[in-house]
Amino acid sequence: MSTVIVVVVAVLAVAGLAFSVSGALGILRMPDVYCRIQCSSKTITMGALPPLVALVVGEGFGSAYAARALIVAVLLLTVNPAASHALARAAYRAGVPMWDGAVRDEVAEQEADDD
Amino acid sequence: MTNIDELYFAVAIAETCVALLVLPRLAIGPSVSDRIVALNTASTQAALAVLFYAAGADRAIYLDVAVWLVSFSYLGAIVWARFLERRLI
Repeated sequence: MSTVIVVVVAVLAVAGLAFSVSGALGILRMPDVYCRIQCSSKTITMGALPPLVALVVGEGFGSAYAARALIVAVLLLTVNPAASHALARAAYRAGVPMWDGAVRDEVAEQEADDD
Repeated sequence: MTNIDELYFAVAIAETCVALLVLPRLAIGPSVSDRIVALNTASTQAALAVLFYAAGADRAIYLDVAVWLVSFSYLGAIVWARFLERRLI
């Protein structure tokens, strides 16, 4: 195991962890559920992908670890947007209030236009 | 070889700490959606921690745990969203 691979793995893991920590802080600190869903979908996906690439680099492309890491990456990239969209839609339909400082509600405007 | 294994363990512990970081939101979240978002984030980080622990401990059998954890957490989120929206099915 050469030193270069260890350094690449460390850099990718630290980059992913930085994104993950910022996403977790956003989930803790954001004012309403829609902002929190945004933190969860974008930042957590971006925080999960670099560590998975680090695993592929560290263990070699043909290993079982790399295969499972790629499966997890594909699952995250496909299912995470769908789940986030479904959650935000369900929260809106269930009447979860927006933050007081929100400036636009485009769904309500669209539905007012349709009527 | 032990060098990179220690790195994997360190990443696994750090991901676990990130998963623990969102637990206050799971406890206090004003709506059900907040709790689901926090739970999804925590389980994604837990899956990453399991992956890195498996790589560090050289136990390939733990890898399937991570794959199932990720797929079922998002499946659960979609089912919860359907339930909140129109009371299942």
